[in-house]
Amino acid sequence: MTRLIRSLRDGIGFDTLLIILALFYLFVFAGLPLIYNVIISFQRVDVFSLGTLWHPNVGFENYERVFNDPLARRVLINTLIFTIGSVALQFTLGFAAALFFHQRFPGATWFRGLFLAGWIMPGLVVGVLWNWLLSGDFGVINHVLKSMGWIDSAIFWRSDTAWSLYAVMMANVWYGMPFNMILLSVGLAAIPDDLYEAAELDGANAWQRFWTITLPMMRSTIGAVLALGVIFTLQQFDLFAAITQGGPAGSSTVAQYWSWELSFREFDFGRGAVISVMMIVVVLFVSLIYVRSTRAETRL
Amino acid sequence: MSAAWTNRLLFVIALVLAGIYLFPLYWMYVTSLKTQSSIFAVPPEFLPGVPQWQNYALIWDVANIPRYMWNSLVIATGVTAFTLIFGAGAAYVLARYRNPWIDVTLFLVLMLQVLPPSLMVTPIFVGFASVGLLDYPRFGAILAISAKTMPFFIILCRAAFMTVPRELEEAALVDGNSRAGAFFMIVLPLARNGILVAALLIFMQGFGEYVYSASLIADNRLHPASIGMTNFLQPNVVNWNAIMAFAATYVTPIVAAFVLLQRQIVNGLTAGALK
Amino acid sequence: MTAQIEIIDVQKHYGSFHALRDINLTIPKGQFVALVGPSGCGKSTLLRSIAGLESISGGTMRIAGEVVNDMPPRKRDLAMVFQSYALYPHMNVRDNLTYALRLKRIPRAERHAKADEVAKVIGLEALLDRYPRELSGGQRQRVAMGRAIIREPKAFLFDEPLSNLDAALRVKMRKEVRALHDRIGATSVYVTHDQIEAMTMADHVVVLRAGVIEQQGRPMELYDRPANRFVAGFIGSPAMNFVPAVTGTDGRSVTLEMTSNARLPMDIQIAEGRPVTAGLRPEHLEICAPDPEDGMTITVGAIERTGSSCYLFSEEAPEIIIVTDGATGVQQGERIGLRIRPERVHLFDRDSTVSLRG
Repeated sequence: MTRLIRSLRDGIGFDTLLIILALFYLFVFAGLPLIYNVIISFQRVDVFSLGTLWHPNVGFENYERVFNDPLARRVLINTLIFTIGSVALQFTLGFAAALFFHQRFPGATWFRGLFLAGWIMPGLVVGVLWNWLLSGDFGVINHVLKSMGWIDSAIFWRSDTAWSLYAVMMANVWYGMPFNMILLSVGLAAIPDDLYEAAELDGANAWQRFWTITLPMMRSTIGAVLALGVIFTLQQFDLFAAITQGGPAGSSTVAQYWSWELSFREFDFGRGAVISVMMIVVVLFVSLIYVRSTRAETRL
Repeated sequence: MSAAWTNRLLFVIALVLAGIYLFPLYWMYVTSLKTQSSIFAVPPEFLPGVPQWQNYALIWDVANIPRYMWNSLVIATGVTAFTLIFGAGAAYVLARYRNPWIDVTLFLVLMLQVLPPSLMVTPIFVGFASVGLLDYPRFGAILAISAKTMPFFIILCRAAFMTVPRELEEAALVDGNSRAGAFFMIVLPLARNGILVAALLIFMQGFGEYVYSASLIADNRLHPASIGMTNFLQPNVVNWNAIMAFAATYVTPIVAAFVLLQRQIVNGLTAGALK
Repeated sequence: MTAQIEIIDVQKHYGSFHALRDINLTIPKGQFVALVGPSGCGKSTLLRSIAGLESISGGTMRIAGEVVNDMPPRKRDLAMVFQSYALYPHMNVRDNLTYALRLKRIPRAERHAKADEVAKVIGLEALLDRYPRELSGGQRQRVAMGRAIIREPKAFLFDEPLSNLDAALRVKMRKEVRALHDRIGATSVYVTHDQIEAMTMADHVVVLRAGVIEQQGRPMELYDRPANRFVAGFIGSPAMNFVPAVTGTDGRSVTLEMTSNARLPMDIQIAEGRPVTAGLRPEHLEICAPDPEDGMTITVGAIERTGSSCYLFSEEAPEIIIVTDGATGVQQGERIGLRIRPERVHLFDRDSTVSLRG
């Protein structure tokens, strides 16, 4: 006992205590739910059986019902389009902005910081703002597009099944772009100036310097940013809740929203858990890539 | 073209880009100060007319703003406290050592950072329901949100602790401190700025959180402002000036904190985000 | 009060790496001991083990007669001066000096009186309210010293405290640290990689290599009687010349395996025909007329003049360095003879590298 107290006061026991505090918390509120998630995906959980820890076992019934659902195909496609589209646009715009602010004109860092104002906003508020911007009759975006002559009549972004997913995507690109930009800026700043100077002396023009110096040196950063982009996009929920609520007719429903809808709108927690289990596997796979590329970064 | 002119041109472009990017925020404030008829003007009025400050006064009680803001504050404070208490020590240990065990722990923490709340909420809700935690919904929401914010906090905080030289802590030990003494008197004060920035970011996340609160809290009187907004949105979907006044009331504290601490937040993020 | 430190059979393992091996060292009360060796030799690990910042894997460590193997640093009552000085950046000089006293719950007035007293000793009275970032390197070094002095600890531990200073300041501080030790008379353990620091400051020098004590003794003992080739090469600057040699049939001379096949008479009896390494200190070689018979003869290659002295490098292998008077007229390409007094020739067994002078 005195040994333990001594170790806590002066030895490794102190570190162990601190780390266990966090790991225990994370185990209870993240680890256990992960396991429980798999369990309830094989059970029938509805409002009546909620109060108990164990629910009737139904085997793969939940899985079958999810796969046979007519919405499943739509949701899969939507999720792919939303994720790939969001990440590609966030990344491209973020990279362009990072390169622009890398020019080191007076005020560059300050302006760059301003963009983070979007990133720190609550997702739900961002959703509501875009809901208003994208409004069909009186939305500013329609007005601008019309006065530019790019469209003839108003697009009903939120209520047109052809546009609803892209409406949310637009908001998500706005929301996620600053984070991409900041991370890519860090990567750009890490490339030593003398590399560019050497390349310039070797006769490389700006375009060649970008392809032969910037891109190869940024490889691990780009990997990390893309992986983080996918991860954050798969976490996006608030924008759907505030702009389209998955509608109309499921045209903007993505997997993470569908999972929540099944659980909290239809109170079919078993089916909600099925999607949750599958999506978490995807997310963990992507984050493996992310962790690996950040490792490469720190080992440089 | 001289360097000065290039700089001036780049400055103007930056101004335009920032203007376009921040337009949604500007539009929120402008709309919130318009009359009901002018929000539907065609073409839209990009400059505000006579500011309708009473929009704010009108929604204050109708939309239960004080109650919602109070609940958001309670949740954000609780989340920050839990995250800080449980996470700061782990961040310190993860910064202090370099060995395979630490690598594994760091890996686990990084992996937990990525779990989407909208997917985790199903098992958490079912679990909380069965152990009775839903009887204390705000507390339950705080517990669940903290598990989400803690990994991110640990990563950011670890970067802050890494900036404190190990020798300072050793000097304190030789000077007569216990491990805890050296931690609280030397290491913590020296890592303070980084920790505060991280805590502020966590507070903002807690303040704006939606999924867990919306799923775990059934009683409207305990709902935070994020749910308050959705509740307000549906019946008032044409009163965009009122909705924007609600949104502005909600985010102005966050935007103000950001404007004041912009440099520190950006520095903290860039130091911690990729390491 | 100052105390004796005893280190008996101490071992330290990091996993499979044996960082300290059978360390035996007694540091009597009031002695200034230098731990010296190349980087990675374990000198810092040994110092940190004494401080309690590293735990030892085996053996016994006593401070003032008390076994401290499991004692945390805070109870050992030792003061340490770190390489980076480790001044607390969020405290001013006065608070830095008195931090340890504050932890001992000594009243503020008494603490401040002590701080004033110590500041006078180290010449920092005017800087007590400054913060570390506002001090120069030399001033920070002094504060670090003051922080150690104020505690009147059982011993002072120094971890390369002068290595962050520029050359001139380092020489000055060297003298100051030693003068301070002479005034206070506290037991001191001083880690350095610089053998000149060790030689000039310490009463007792401990040479470590790869976790093992190669030799310990008074500075001049190490210089005059190095126990093996490593110590011989480590102590002294420029380093000792090593030339392969074989003992002669009479056992009273060695023949150097050089181009000139020089024969050196010896003052001791050695088994005949034995392969050895002869160690010749650059400053012990004297220039004379070349002796074509069996004297040492070299061709002068590079010449480096420092003003006060002159370094000559032989053109042939093995390279020989000679330190001679700065005013020497020797020219590049000249052939010169070399002479050395028999008692100044060091001989080491070629395999075990142990000195044959016993």
